[in-house]
Amino acid sequence: MLRFATSELTAAELALQDQVRDFLAAELPRGSFAPGLGMAAGRDQGFSRALAAQGWLGMALPRRYGGAERGVVDRFIVVEELLRWGAPVRYHWVADRQTGPLILRFGSDAQRERFLPAICRGELSFSIGMSEAEAGSDLAAVQTRANRADGGWRVSGTKLWTGGAHENDWFVVLCRTSDEDDRHQGLTQMIVDLHAGGVAVRPIAYLDGSEFFNEVVLDDVFVPDELVVGDVGAGWSQNTSELALERAGPERWLSTYLVVEQYLREHGAVDERAQAALGEAVAGWWGIRALSLSVARLLDAGQAPVAESALVKELGTRFEQEVLDAVWRLVPGDPDPAAESMFERLLAAAIVGAPSFTIRGGTSEILRSIAARALGA
Amino acid sequence: MTVADALSVLRERGPDRAAESSLLGEWLLARAGLGEEPGEVTTAPGSARDSVLLEDGRVSGAAHRVPWARDAARVALLVAGRAVVVDRSAVTIQPHVNLAGDPRDTVVLDGVLARSGPGVDREELLLRGALTRIALMAGALDRVYEIAVRHASERRQFGRPIASFQAVQQHLVNIAQQVALAGVAAEATARRAGGFEIAAGKLLANRAALSAGRSAHQVLGARGTTREHPLGQLTCRLWAWRSEYGDEHRWSTRLGAAVARAGADSVYPAITGGSTVVSV
Repeated sequence: MLRFATSELTAAELALQDQVRDFLAAELPRGSFAPGLGMAAGRDQGFSRALAAQGWLGMALPRRYGGAERGVVDRFIVVEELLRWGAPVRYHWVADRQTGPLILRFGSDAQRERFLPAICRGELSFSIGMSEAEAGSDLAAVQTRANRADGGWRVSGTKLWTGGAHENDWFVVLCRTSDEDDRHQGLTQMIVDLHAGGVAVRPIAYLDGSEFFNEVVLDDVFVPDELVVGDVGAGWSQNTSELALERAGPERWLSTYLVVEQYLREHGAVDERAQAALGEAVAGWWGIRALSLSVARLLDAGQAPVAESALVKELGTRFEQEVLDAVWRLVPGDPDPAAESMFERLLAAAIVGAPSFTIRGGTSEILRSIAARALGA
Repeated sequence: MTVADALSVLRERGPDRAAESSLLGEWLLARAGLGEEPGEVTTAPGSARDSVLLEDGRVSGAAHRVPWARDAARVALLVAGRAVVVDRSAVTIQPHVNLAGDPRDTVVLDGVLARSGPGVDREELLLRGALTRIALMAGALDRVYEIAVRHASERRQFGRPIASFQAVQQHLVNIAQQVALAGVAAEATARRAGGFEIAAGKLLANRAALSAGRSAHQVLGARGTTREHPLGQLTCRLWAWRSEYGDEHRWSTRLGAAVARAGADSVYPAITGGSTVVSV
């Protein structure tokens, strides 16, 4: 049976929500920047540093590593406000959400000292080096290979769909360090310098021509032993817990929020069709947010809600698409990606971005299989 | 018993005339200062087809879709802004049923002597009625989920439990998601029964009733479609409750209009703060 318990935010949590709202209104007033859609928003290290100065990067990390020792729910509150505002979160996104917690949990003391304080200051950016051409949903099929070398490893292979590899500092690479009967064994996570010798980054143009994703070719790249995360050969289980962290957060249901808000700002909701679409959207967000928040509470309670996360992500990403379709149906004509109207630009960006919602971070089909196992199916 | 307790009983036990009477009928009469009397009081939900007049302390006309009117001791109605109560023995009942076969009678009033008090407004009755339906629907959906999961793990075809087929698993996951959303609706409205929460909650419950009901019937196959199978009884009630006290169109336009009135800057605060931010 799946565990979902609704809750209200506490007084302290509501105070944090107010602080974030005030901060955004002052730091990034509406009209002063081009808001983006969820995780695909802009990249601005200065903004990331300003968040860090508030103590809002690496919030759940221990104080000794520069964190705020606040929980998953507090991070949830900050993140949902940033995303619904369309704030430029891209610089710190992966480091804050998953690399920081990964290094805290599995990394060495030296790695924690080296990376966590810099992540919390907004001075390091990370990418994810999981997928490959032949290892998409079937991630254990990765072929990137690390061979023993003096004092470390020599890594060769090609990672695919590595978001931000052209602009970030490091990426965490899942690679094969030995061949085992059980292919979930023998995989290892390593922190690789994206500027190291032998690393070549090639852009992949997305549907709209933008170049965020990359192919990253590793050609005999040297990775010292001290950059292996956790135990050699234990990469699969570490990676699985990392994915659980990235699954059920607000980024899984807020990608099209601003399209709705901006529609209302520019057009109002004067007729019944628009009112009905707005009402359905708001009700959906209200419900999914409650489920997503309950997963954050479970994580704070030290539980591992893998199936609940999968279920919420699948629901949330499908909902992001449904909301988009409903707003899209309200407007005549095809949206101009370069229109003067911000609503029209956001709508166009959301339409081409939408196919990725139900693919990135685990496809809907894989997530349903994960959730189904927990149902006793 | 608090309202939250009563709602949780409703969710656990399902259709219960006594709970319906205490949460709706007695509430309505208490609000109108019409005191307490023994016996069940059922409430006319206020159908668009109703035509009831109150003149000189007497009510005339017909009220439709009144739950279990035939079995109640009294019937409460809203007439022209006043709450009215009449004895069951003074009215004529035309028996009708909902999709599940539960009584939804027409109450014919022929100059019946009635007691009345300053009323509850119709919107309040709509909200209160929807609150009860959300709890009932969440409870029925909990049982739909149990039935579907159990059946999928027990029923074997092609030599293995049908739950091992991905196509069936997808239905089970959809049911689990919709049941979770209906559960949110029931828990949140029991905690804070504001207009926003009830509007959003009824929308989620309605959507869940249709979607999970369809998936569950697909999982159960022909067996779930018989009159005696518990699944069919549950889904028929879900479909009936979906229409009662506000369908999707009614609640979505009402919620959307309220959020639009509050303005674009208030949309997200409404999603997080509900009725503390927006009045629906």
